[in-house]
Amino acid sequence: MKGMLVERIREIFDYRQMLVSIVRKDLRSRYKGSFLGFLWTFVNPVLQLTIYSIVFPFLLRNNQENYPMFLFVALLPWIFFTTSLQGATTSVVANANLVKKIYFPRVILPLSVVCTNLVNYIYGLIIVFPALLFTGVSLTFNVLWLPVILFIEFVFALGLALILSALYVRFRDLEHVMNILTMIWFYLTPIVFAISIFPESVAEIIGYNPMVPIINGFRDVLLYGNAPNWNELLYSMIVAIMTVVIGFVVFEKNEKTFAEDL
Amino acid sequence: MKSETVISIDNVSKKFKIYKDKPLTMKEKLLRLRSNDYEDFKAVDKISLSIYKGETISLIGHNGCGKSTLLKLITKILYPDDGAIKVSGRISSLIELGAGFHPDFTGRENIYTNASIFGLSKKEIDNKLDEIIAFSELGHFIDNPVRTYSSGMYMRLAFSVAINVDPEILIIDEILSVGDENFQKKCFEKIDKFKKNGATIVIVTHDLGTVEKISDRVIWMNAGKIVEEGKADQVLNSYKQHMNGKFVEQKQIEYETLIDSEKEGVTSFHEAAVHSGDGNNWGSKEVLITDVRILNKNGTKTNAVIAQENMIIEIDYAIDKPQKEYIFGIGFYNSDLSLIYGNNTEIDKIKLEDLERNGTLQFHVPSLNLLSGLYKLNVAVVDETHRALDFYKYYMDFTVVSTDKSIGSFSIQHSWTIKNEGAK
Repeated sequence: MKGMLVERIREIFDYRQMLVSIVRKDLRSRYKGSFLGFLWTFVNPVLQLTIYSIVFPFLLRNNQENYPMFLFVALLPWIFFTTSLQGATTSVVANANLVKKIYFPRVILPLSVVCTNLVNYIYGLIIVFPALLFTGVSLTFNVLWLPVILFIEFVFALGLALILSALYVRFRDLEHVMNILTMIWFYLTPIVFAISIFPESVAEIIGYNPMVPIINGFRDVLLYGNAPNWNELLYSMIVAIMTVVIGFVVFEKNEKTFAEDL
Repeated sequence: MKSETVISIDNVSKKFKIYKDKPLTMKEKLLRLRSNDYEDFKAVDKISLSIYKGETISLIGHNGCGKSTLLKLITKILYPDDGAIKVSGRISSLIELGAGFHPDFTGRENIYTNASIFGLSKKEIDNKLDEIIAFSELGHFIDNPVRTYSSGMYMRLAFSVAINVDPEILIIDEILSVGDENFQKKCFEKIDKFKKNGATIVIVTHDLGTVEKISDRVIWMNAGKIVEEGKADQVLNSYKQHMNGKFVEQKQIEYETLIDSEKEGVTSFHEAAVHSGDGNNWGSKEVLITDVRILNKNGTKTNAVIAQENMIIEIDYAIDKPQKEYIFGIGFYNSDLSLIYGNNTEIDKIKLEDLERNGTLQFHVPSLNLLSGLYKLNVAVVDETHRALDFYKYYMDFTVVSTDKSIGSFSIQHSWTIKNEGAK
């Protein structure tokens, strides 16, 4: 079993060029032929940000200091997370042509979706930093923790992506179920508001949501200049690792019949 | 030199569930609705096979015999239900050409994507790039988006990538029909080079000419099992015989349906042709040919026969006004409508004088030596002065299938030898 795992990982490594090609192709083809092209990578979150920062302070009557940035540093990683899950869910089915005709480690398909969205997030940082500086936030060395938090989120997203993409081959309802679940999840994660708006008892339950420490972590290192709360993050990391292990097992169990089920 | 085994297939089975209607939604899964509404289909049934390094193997068999499934099992696209498959060495399959091509990207960019799906690293692709571009004959088009390519250019590029991956094992599924004649020639040269370099090749094709030309060993599959394996000419010969038999069987079924519909009063071709007075039937009608049948070796009425087998032509006649002497004849025409054989009772010195009013005449052929093709049958009865009593030109069509690949109309027994004058 252990030897097999090593072999699997080596095989994925052998196919790294395929991963790179797919990610590059997805990034480049996403806005190909559109007038603004690559700029859409920035326009989309900025528009979303503008809408949320107008609507939510008005609705929630909160007086969060520097609300646009409070929202922005949390919204981008959330977009990374949900677009990864949505894209990965359909990734195996969308590539039915390849799966039915050619052998390659199938894991590449959901993995490439998560990677593409990770790269997209990193591009997003190109406007996050100037925006932070522009609104008077001073960056500290704690920004260096950003890759760690991002990595934990990546692992968690990958774990879910593996499970969802494998199951979607046989349960096509999953796409719609996921859309609803991520919408609910969005409001159970302190993105548009601070977790403090919930009563203590509710906040405690919501604290089990592994995305909470991750989103808080992003705010800590980018907005507040603090070190992340390692105790909370450790919990997220354990959940993420468990998810990715389960993900690989589920994927492995299902992938052998992909070509017939598609 | 029986060298090492590169593909070992050990007692492998694969069955598919054929759903009447594929259940997909979770509700159906959970409630197990329609879950019993499928049949098992054994695509590969307990096959064991060893393929050695450097061999070229062809898999043949009619559609649905399991050969493509076996290929997919070898390439790990499918996994066996039972048994084990071991493959050592890099496999490249020419099953899906142009995998992952993006129409908006240039040919060059697509080479990278496509080759990477075969598991090549960037460095390996860099090294092969020039060779691939040269092989594709695309020239400066290589830097245009693939969507601007003609379908021929597209396939050439795809094929060039797949074949230049330099695999140790090359899997080819029915795709050697790519490009024009010159490009095909290049492909075969490339395959030959593979063979010389010790690569193992597994091919699935219906093109028996290709099979004969390039394979060391042929495996004939039917209904998921290996029927026969061995040297190309030997297996191909029995395969062709089998296919000819199948073909004739099929013809027979069609023919019988035709007869059935005639019985129900539907006018068929043959009836129309015979009775429409289109100039193919004449005579005084003092003697009538009421029916003509071709019987195969089992004595079944047919319009398709296998060469080198027994055939009988039966002619039913009815005498309206008795004649002094009767001469019955038959003739075979080829599809160009030229007579290739004709014979009658007079030529064979058979005097038919006092015949029953109704009777049947048989023309026996113990071993039919016509070559494959469509033939037309003439039948006639004339009197001793060769005045036509009842004459049918093109009474019916019949098909002959033969394993003899000679050209023309007849198989002729022969052999070739070289007589060396100088040695005397």
